[in-house]
Amino acid sequence: MLSDSELKIISFLKSKKVATSDEISKETGLPLSTVFSNLALLESKGIVKVISDKKIQYISLTSEGESRLRDGMPEDKLLRLLNGNVGNLQELRSKMGSDFEIALGWAKRKGLVELNGEEIKPLVKDYSSPENTLLLKLRNGDSLNENEIQTLMKRKLVERKERRLVEVELTQDAVSKPQELYLTHEMLVSGSWRGKEFKPYNVEALPPFYPIGKSHYFRDFIEKVKDLMISLGFKEVVSDYVEMEFYNFDMLFQPQDHPAREIHDSFIVNGHGSLPNEELVRRVKDTHEKWWKYSWSEENAKRLVLRSQTTAVTARVLSKSPKNARVFTIGKVFRPDSIDATHLVEFHQMDGLVIEDEFTFRDLLSTLRDIFSGLGVKQIKFKPAYFPFTEPSVEVYGFVDPLGWVEMAGAGLLREEVTNPSGVYAPAGAWGIGIDRLAMLFLGVKDIRDLYSTNIEYLRSRRVV
Amino acid sequence: MPTVNLNKWILQSMTGLSKEEISDYLFKLKSEVNEIDQDTISVEVNADRLDMLGLGGIVRALKGISGKEKGERKYSVNETEYVLEVGDVPSRPFALACVIYNVRLNPEFYLKELIQFQEKLHDTIGRRRKKVAIGIHDLKKVKGKIIKYINLPLSSTFVPLNQSREMSVAEVLKETEQGRIYGNISVRNGMTPAIVDVEGVLSIPPVINSERTRISGETTSLLIDVTGTNFDAVYQTLDLLSTNLAELGAEIGSVVVKGTKEFKSPLLNHVNVSANVSNINRRLGTDLDGGEIVRLIQKMRMDASLDGDEIRVIVPPYRVDIMTYADLAEDVAMAVGYDNFSLTQGSSQGLGTLSERSSFYRKLRSLLIGAQFQEIYTLVLMKSSYQLAGDYVKVENPISVDYDSVRNSLMWNVLLFLANNQHSRFPIRVFEIGETVKAKAESDTSYLNELRVSLGIMDSKVSYEGLQAPLHEVISNLTGRTPSYQAVEDKLFIKGRCANIYMEGQQIGILGEVSPEILSNYGVLYPVVLAELYLDKIMGMV
Repeated sequence: MLSDSELKIISFLKSKKVATSDEISKETGLPLSTVFSNLALLESKGIVKVISDKKIQYISLTSEGESRLRDGMPEDKLLRLLNGNVGNLQELRSKMGSDFEIALGWAKRKGLVELNGEEIKPLVKDYSSPENTLLLKLRNGDSLNENEIQTLMKRKLVERKERRLVEVELTQDAVSKPQELYLTHEMLVSGSWRGKEFKPYNVEALPPFYPIGKSHYFRDFIEKVKDLMISLGFKEVVSDYVEMEFYNFDMLFQPQDHPAREIHDSFIVNGHGSLPNEELVRRVKDTHEKWWKYSWSEENAKRLVLRSQTTAVTARVLSKSPKNARVFTIGKVFRPDSIDATHLVEFHQMDGLVIEDEFTFRDLLSTLRDIFSGLGVKQIKFKPAYFPFTEPSVEVYGFVDPLGWVEMAGAGLLREEVTNPSGVYAPAGAWGIGIDRLAMLFLGVKDIRDLYSTNIEYLRSRRVV
Repeated sequence: MPTVNLNKWILQSMTGLSKEEISDYLFKLKSEVNEIDQDTISVEVNADRLDMLGLGGIVRALKGISGKEKGERKYSVNETEYVLEVGDVPSRPFALACVIYNVRLNPEFYLKELIQFQEKLHDTIGRRRKKVAIGIHDLKKVKGKIIKYINLPLSSTFVPLNQSREMSVAEVLKETEQGRIYGNISVRNGMTPAIVDVEGVLSIPPVINSERTRISGETTSLLIDVTGTNFDAVYQTLDLLSTNLAELGAEIGSVVVKGTKEFKSPLLNHVNVSANVSNINRRLGTDLDGGEIVRLIQKMRMDASLDGDEIRVIVPPYRVDIMTYADLAEDVAMAVGYDNFSLTQGSSQGLGTLSERSSFYRKLRSLLIGAQFQEIYTLVLMKSSYQLAGDYVKVENPISVDYDSVRNSLMWNVLLFLANNQHSRFPIRVFEIGETVKAKAESDTSYLNELRVSLGIMDSKVSYEGLQAPLHEVISNLTGRTPSYQAVEDKLFIKGRCANIYMEGQQIGILGEVSPEILSNYGVLYPVVLAELYLDKIMGMV
């Protein structure tokens, strides 16, 4: 297998048998570095033989040298500007800019001008510096003697450099047949592919970048949770981000002066909602006033917030007085939290609700066991807990290596103070699970912000699990 | 959740339990234990168990659940000659008091624990002193037996706690930290509530006590006043304080309260709650007999008796969280131990169903991935200055300008995402499916979520067609219909390179090459072609 560059070099060597790296580079148009690496490859394949490999010294223009060659030496320019007449120092400085001081210095040293105060008087009419002549000579490829080189080096117009020169000889006729790049439709139609050879590729090289379409890894996790809930017989329900406090708090038996309802615990949205049917509102009001002993305010219940818990969706379901239910919701909730590796102002919860005639606390614990086992948490334990809207209440802890026991969910049987006002009299179990934290545990994500990453390379690099 | 710090050795010696036993039993009582140092543990207490915010309550509960004691712990109350005269204090109308003898505040741990209990009650049932405030005084330093609860003018003076000079109430409100935090709760019309004895101010609830009656390690008897805006919360707080101190060996003395009515406090209120054996078993999914349930309730330090199928429970003054049979059921479950419930095998309910939105966007998602777009998922809250068109929902109390509004379009999110990836490998082809919020919509909150998808391509060169072609195929495959395009001028897009997308005569989206002005707003230095589809509308048609 020969590369394009190798083939070019071979084809040139065929006409010449022996050649130097300089000649090869000049004829093939390949940069010297490419020529050296390909000659090494060809030598290792036994196609060429290296006759000599030496370092040669040469004189190379510096960047200043290049610009002087292009624009002329500064003192030459000065004398051209004077054109045999006396000139003003300030005027010339403004015409020549930064080169002026250099030009004046050299012109004085070479005895070309005299300086009287502000006046510059030329002592010759026309001048072409020897440096300029030498630069032109160098450009034409003529060689310079040591004196001439020193003249240019003093003014930092050239420098000495070293480079490699390799001389090689072609040892065998490596290529015989003409090579085709592509197999075409026409070749197949005419049969002209017969007798043709196809140029080999460097099939071991890594390919260029190819953008593929890919799903988002955290969305995949959320969809997996949905599938699990479907497989457990639950129906998905949804509702909106902007929510009335009535559903976010009041229906959930959270008194209006409860610390969780203070202004810094939820995001407030301007405006007021309209409450549902009077009967439900009256019953919620009576329940609050009976048990929490304060005067319940309709105005507070109408206030709008970005929902702070998906239990608000559960409350919406309850408000329709269902006889039975087996529903879940996954969605965003919003809380004013300071942002760090484990906290964001928005995250997901998965809330579930079962309303069934014979549903018990034991059934609730069993359901939670099923959910977590479906998610891959095999070892769980239950801790008694407190939520205003459930009794008995429970927190679920799951065992995750290497963290140990991690709190994963809050759950309970809804209080009758929550269900009865909506006309639900059957037992009801409910739970809320923080999805982001679970996803972080399962997906090996250390920073919650990575779940919402704005870095496409991070998303491209995540293995699909 | 409130956390209380306790001395580990004192707790162990009072309960006769080992460190591990204490930890296990407290877990069963909703509380988690953490070790702070070799002498101190912290206990996370759930907000309903106010009695467990103090050492006495924790000891009482532990003795019950570990089987060392059972039923209600009753405390005797001695009558005293102390009187609390309750005057007319409209901003904070209710006040009660009691005296405590033989209280132990030495070594210092006991004193600190009492103050901690007081503060935790302030924060929970007291709603940060708005609803209830507690004053604890050294009884020996109180002059006379007549205590009064009255309104005083702000010019009244006394030496407040931790101060060395006499100050007016107005000065206290302005110059002390306590005054600044709590000063505006109960002051009305230049008057402040005050507890006074014959010599002057004992405290100005809910702000601060007087230095004169400060408690210390030498204190052996207390006067406790509790004031507030809700009578139930006030008497419950005094019941909790007095019973917890009594559990630790102190004696409760009653105070005669003279106001519109005359009665003695603390009330040590008992409530009768009854439940059916079958109700409890039905709620829990257990098969316990009546005697067993009574025994379990006694373990939770309540007296209970069985009358046929009915369980009669007398809720003691320290269990203010028990309201109905459901609360009793929870206590029974806790006494059984949540981990002792034998779980049932998953009851098969057949398959559930996805919401219409979910099943719809799943199809869309797989089509877009097939069209070589990378899915992205960004935040719903965003900086309002990035929302360049349309009404959006403003957050009234944002914590940062970066999250001061709810997105009304996903195009902003896609543009921000592209802006953030200009040094990544090109081309960048992304989409996001997500909910936006529409303001002033027809709903009971006048706001509605809208499901949308936005797609963007950024590359060194992009074209309208480069996005239109894949989008067209996706829409056709999703809906079985062919969309049409109508040229439109929109300030987001380059003139002549933008179209509204139509289906069945309704606009279902927009598509175009983003205008250089908009790109520079987002700091994007490469061309972008962008589209958005209104999925709720499309779902309504198919």
